[in-house]
Amino acid sequence: MTDQFIGSLLPLFVAVPLLFAGVSVILRRRMLDRVLIVAIPVLVLASAIALMIHHGETPVLASAIGSYEGGIAIPFVSDTLTAVMLATTGLATAASCWFLTASGEDRVRFVPALALMLMSGVNGALLTGDLFNLFVFVEVMLLPSYALIAVTGTWRRLGISRMFVIVNLVTSAILVMGVGLVYGSAGTVNLAALAGRAGEDPQVALAVTVVLLALAIKAGVVPVHGWMPRAYPGTSAGIMALFSALHTKVALYAIFRIYFTAFAPGGPAGAAGGTLTTPAHHGTATTVAVVIAVVVLATMVLGALGSLGESRFRGVMAFQMIAGVGHILIGVAIASPAAVAAGLFYLIHHVVTMASLLTTAGAVEQTYGTGILGKLSGLLHRDRLAAVVVALGLLSLAGLPPTSGLWAKLGLALSVVEPAGAGGNPAWYAPVFLTAIVLASVATLVALQRLWGRSFAGEPLRLYRPVLADGSRDRGPEEAVPDSVRIPGRLLAPGVMMIGVSVLLFIFAGTLMPFIETAAAGLFETGPYVEAVLGGGIG
Amino acid sequence: MLDSTFVLAITVGVLTTAGVWLLQQRDMVRAIFGLTLISHSANLLLLASGVPGWRHEPLMDGTTVAEAADPLPQAFVLTAIVISMATTILMLALAVIGRNDDQERAPTVSDHDEPDEPDDRPSHPPAGQNDSQPDIQPGGRTASRPEIEPEIQREDQQGVDRA
Repeated sequence: MTDQFIGSLLPLFVAVPLLFAGVSVILRRRMLDRVLIVAIPVLVLASAIALMIHHGETPVLASAIGSYEGGIAIPFVSDTLTAVMLATTGLATAASCWFLTASGEDRVRFVPALALMLMSGVNGALLTGDLFNLFVFVEVMLLPSYALIAVTGTWRRLGISRMFVIVNLVTSAILVMGVGLVYGSAGTVNLAALAGRAGEDPQVALAVTVVLLALAIKAGVVPVHGWMPRAYPGTSAGIMALFSALHTKVALYAIFRIYFTAFAPGGPAGAAGGTLTTPAHHGTATTVAVVIAVVVLATMVLGALGSLGESRFRGVMAFQMIAGVGHILIGVAIASPAAVAAGLFYLIHHVVTMASLLTTAGAVEQTYGTGILGKLSGLLHRDRLAAVVVALGLLSLAGLPPTSGLWAKLGLALSVVEPAGAGGNPAWYAPVFLTAIVLASVATLVALQRLWGRSFAGEPLRLYRPVLADGSRDRGPEEAVPDSVRIPGRLLAPGVMMIGVSVLLFIFAGTLMPFIETAAAGLFETGPYVEAVLGGGIG
Repeated sequence: MLDSTFVLAITVGVLTTAGVWLLQQRDMVRAIFGLTLISHSANLLLLASGVPGWRHEPLMDGTTVAEAADPLPQAFVLTAIVISMATTILMLALAVIGRNDDQERAPTVSDHDEPDEPDDRPSHPPAGQNDSQPDIQPGGRTASRPEIEPEIQREDQQGVDRA
């Protein structure tokens, strides 16, 4: 197969899930729906892995939609980073959708179709090489999300989820304003054509920063994170797993892609097409870099500290997600190839671990009728398997073996202390970042110990609120929990699978690392990316 | 001084300000109006990113490149308008189901922290009853705006319900 042919297949990542969303709406067969919402993400995962391997030969594939000339056409671009992201989100989507079928939420009207539409938008956002198109795909991603919250929530959740909708709409407005400013200042919204421009021109830098701000809100970066730990636990567990794997991670990917392409912080060597970034205006880029560093440090530490104060299982997880966003963005703050690779590995680890913990939390809620830490206790004595999954998940979040968390945290710590990256980071970076990583880890450890102690350890559980036959919870007083009640295996299965993946990542990290390093290197050497997009639009 | 750029800039500013102010209101419908204003200001900003002055239609044979407007921002705005129309409709749907925040306290997380009762049932009926209307809880929707007194009563009642 020629590269041209494979490039022209890229839009299928968007088209196939969308097509089957339509099939699901029209046919409305339960079995078909159940197969589709797991099989399509698995298919995406498999094709993404194939793509990842293919990128060993051809670093960048670009396809100009409609065969317009490069620079005018809306391009779909894939490099190793894109393929790694597609694979990660595909895997997490498969696990979350599997949980949705187990918890029965897939029976709710249109949920399978909406999940597939969401996936289509995510793939599009990952593949597009055009800022305005990114905005469009983010909207394609968000609209099914609003509907997913509305149809799977309860009345109370519906009220809370309004915040999710409003925050995201305001953010979208900021994003589209940023895109407008980029067009006004740079004359293009094609990412390849923007390569290195923000490092040269303060106007473009400001415009790109507005785009980055909008993405930061969507990712849940600290000064603008407030909505996330409030909105996410308000959705159901399966939906929260889906959103946490997709929404924030797409925003993070876009931050990586746009920041490294537009600012080219790797210095002259990394600048696009061999043109040198003139150091004349380097001041703007340096200011942006310092702001990012401060924000990232705050995100790590405050996210971890915030999880200390939560009283619900998934509330703790929501704050851990923010801490995770901070860790992942260390790659952007340090801006050395090693740091970016470590950040990307952390991203994969975080998606996998979160999917496992959130689906298991959902299984607990579904069985015992509550996710409140004080009300759960001693689950260790009842549900051994769930306890093992959660214990491994917590170890993974804290960064301890035998899970992917160890390599993720270790990689970050090592990349922080290594001699400065190409940009020449200030001397205070290494000690401050290292302190923040340790501080965040300690806070995380304390928070997770608290979570473990108040849910799985302790007195055996006595009271619970059983789930009624029609799927709703008993609204009466709590009942004594019968001995026979256990978390069903079908609810635990997705969590077990994902924590298995985390352990596999621990063992086979060496197999994955070359791909991640290639992906990180691709962000610094934007030359091939630019050439593939602008050089020859593939007809 | 009052050229079109100036007018556009002021309009964008005024629309955004008004939109942000409306977003601070507790009522969902007002928040929707606020978002509409903000998306309008975003659209104007997109238009301004092209050539702000009056230009001819960017049609292939009708105008020369020198006279034609930049079509790209117009395409952006068209797309953005369609998207914001869809989201507005969706939010209006959200506004009429569930609670009426004009008269009632909007649900907060502390309510949510308090267990999954008394309100925690699927907003959507489970399978098999998909086509029936979800029942709307008492007080969830009121046709007219009652005075302050009923509001207090309703809040009291809620408190009793929850206790």
